[in-house]
Amino acid sequence: MGATAGLIELDALGPGGGYHAHDRLTITDVAGNPVAELSMVPRLFVTRAMAALHKADPLPLDERVAALAHAGELYSSGTVDGMSADDHQHIVSRVTGLPISVVRSAAAAIAESAVEAYHSVQHARPAGDVNDWRDPLTRTGRGVWTRRGDVFGVHAPGNHPGVHGLWLEALTLGYRVAVRPSRRDPFTPHRLISALRSAGFGDDQVALLPTGYDTADEIIRGADLAMAYGGEDVMRKYAAVSKMLPQGPGRSKILLTAGEDWRDHLDMIVDSISNEGGRACVNTTAVLVEGDPAPLAEAIAERLAAIPSLPPEDENAVLPVVPLAEAQKLEQHLLARAAGTIPWLGGDGIVGDLGDGSAALRPAVHQLDRPDAPQAGVELAFPCAWVAPWTREAGIEPLKDTLVLTAVSHDEQLLDELLAEPTISNVYVGDHPTYWMAPGVPHDGYLADFLMRTKAVIRD
Amino acid sequence: MLQHAKSALELPYDVRPDPDEFIRAAMDWHFSSETGSPFWLQRAESLEFDPRADVRSFSDLRLFPNVADELRDVRAEDLIPKGYGARPEVVGVFESGGTTGPPKRIVMLREWWERMLAWQTAGLEAHGLTLTNRNWLVLTPSGPHMVGEMVRRQAAALGGLNFAIDMDPRWVKKLIAARRADEADAYAEHLIDQAAFGLQTQDIGVLMATPPLLERLARRDDLVELVRRKVEAIQWGGAHMDADSRHLYRTEVFPGSELVGQYGSTMILGGATERPGLSDDDPCIFDPFSPYITFRVVDPGTGHPVPYGERGQVVMNHVSKSFLLPGNLERDMATRVEPAEGQVGDSVADVTPVPRFGGEDVIEGVY
Repeated sequence: MGATAGLIELDALGPGGGYHAHDRLTITDVAGNPVAELSMVPRLFVTRAMAALHKADPLPLDERVAALAHAGELYSSGTVDGMSADDHQHIVSRVTGLPISVVRSAAAAIAESAVEAYHSVQHARPAGDVNDWRDPLTRTGRGVWTRRGDVFGVHAPGNHPGVHGLWLEALTLGYRVAVRPSRRDPFTPHRLISALRSAGFGDDQVALLPTGYDTADEIIRGADLAMAYGGEDVMRKYAAVSKMLPQGPGRSKILLTAGEDWRDHLDMIVDSISNEGGRACVNTTAVLVEGDPAPLAEAIAERLAAIPSLPPEDENAVLPVVPLAEAQKLEQHLLARAAGTIPWLGGDGIVGDLGDGSAALRPAVHQLDRPDAPQAGVELAFPCAWVAPWTREAGIEPLKDTLVLTAVSHDEQLLDELLAEPTISNVYVGDHPTYWMAPGVPHDGYLADFLMRTKAVIRD
Repeated sequence: MLQHAKSALELPYDVRPDPDEFIRAAMDWHFSSETGSPFWLQRAESLEFDPRADVRSFSDLRLFPNVADELRDVRAEDLIPKGYGARPEVVGVFESGGTTGPPKRIVMLREWWERMLAWQTAGLEAHGLTLTNRNWLVLTPSGPHMVGEMVRRQAAALGGLNFAIDMDPRWVKKLIAARRADEADAYAEHLIDQAAFGLQTQDIGVLMATPPLLERLARRDDLVELVRRKVEAIQWGGAHMDADSRHLYRTEVFPGSELVGQYGSTMILGGATERPGLSDDDPCIFDPFSPYITFRVVDPGTGHPVPYGERGQVVMNHVSKSFLLPGNLERDMATRVEPAEGQVGDSVADVTPVPRFGGEDVIEGVY
């Protein structure tokens, strides 16, 4: 990474080191100012890079674990390619529009993921398995935890830097990893991979392969296993592809049953909606309450309305910022989808024009008239919540297809049902925000469930 | 007058006629009732100008409308100039790729065919290649497509053997348009499997392939190794090659083989060869077989030429005794480059596809 004509040059990071392409994509900040030029690699480059990753041997486990921890520190607080962490975080904030405080805490979370990666993946190992065939337990026959492949591909999203903490687990497990960055945030994976390389991972262990849409599939073709983030279209495209782990919409929800006073949980509810700039899949999309939803919707709206519209790099920024035209498009979409609902906030628009070509996305709160209203599944990348009534008769149907469900309830039978429901990934009981995460606790299952398998070993 | 006209159209391939004299001779030939083709003689009736009187120079070719679409329906015999007599020497009827609708057809006459092959060979030799007695492996469209037949004849003329595969690019495009990517993929792999037999067992000196097939071939380590060991020259054409891939081929994948690009079109009965002597970092510049084949790079909105160094859409002209097709707007964007010495019109560099054309999505496939 260096600077020419004021623009940061973001090279691809291939198996032969940095690669400066003829084909470069200009990356702009939220106000449309060019910030960087991203080298886009052709298919041939991807093909060869993936082949090189296959040929490489992983670092010994102990070295991997040490290098990951070192890389995490470098990434979050050191100087990488001549750039300080502060400068990097400022750029990520300006380009992605995420509040600087969110970017900063995401960097700390990635560092923690790097330090804890080995500890974290061990949580996913079946209780009967050992890590190494040399373990004495295999002498009488035992399961050994082994990789399903050698090379892991990632089509990364750009909504939140924190997503890059996850694939570090694949590196920990001995996979070589190729990341296709999102054009909305190539900076985070570029810095993270550069840090990993400085910390001891070879150029043929972990690669950054920016590609156009047409070439992206070549990363998946060349990988043994791959992960892609996206909406319904991505889920559909990869649903039947066994090497793929698609990461779909979050549609996280909060449920409050009768007898629970929402006033005791208002902080948690508001925070679940607006923390992380409302950009994460773990942000709350719908709040369902047994009883009249109006007072709760009003209270949420009142709290969210007080959040100021600020540029993302402002220390006090909470709301996400996007180019003005994008904000206007999103506003039109929201207003169309919200037709027939009761607006408590944002009913006349959500564009917080910052006057420089960018706009904060102001919060929106709408009340729905029934638990199964289709709007409850409309997940937008800013603090936007749908508040709906919930009834015993409706049951868990409107709570399905949810990444994180916070259930404020003491109804154990209901909690049993929620936990048993396959389309609900995580259940938090009580006053815990939907965005809560910790290393070693699964996010959407353990990634290692997908990356690893068990082999029987018995020996003399 | 007719004698004079004939001579300017019949010079050897390496003798360049005076461009304006050449144009006037061509107009006389194609628009005289004794020598012109039935197609053009009839088409002339609805032109708003008189080609013989008004088209006096290359820049006057812009008066012509783009009639390329009419080549989808016209009776092929009607494209042959009557001046060739009752038994013209026809090499074949060739068709465009069929990317955007029904195919367009041209009739290849021996007179132009020989001229173009001689020029092609000279162009390859200008890259320092000795091609006599070299065997060719050809991964390009076959069937009604010009390129396969051209390479077959070229190899034969130079004393080499031609190893070809069957390839139907239209089927691939259909599969891709129908989102049957896995079937398109299987077909392309089937082509590479066939090429592998040739590479493994025969003394291949020249490889000709479309960029998508070259890319697939480069996926297989064993084939890369065979190409490195056997192949002196790799010719590519028929689809686009981006600058970064070209650089990788030259510096990393096939550094020992001479990589030579061809940029052409069935509609101009030939094309342009990569300028010799370019470095790894130069853009890929194509110089056409002027004055017979000429390019202009224009602003797609206005149709006016863009300045040198700027990007625009490519307009191609073919003017020869055999055929006339001025003003064919190609589905390519390119950088306008100053012509080579003595050449009429523009040279082009960094050719890429136009995103959309004629209301249909352009699909890049195996061809």
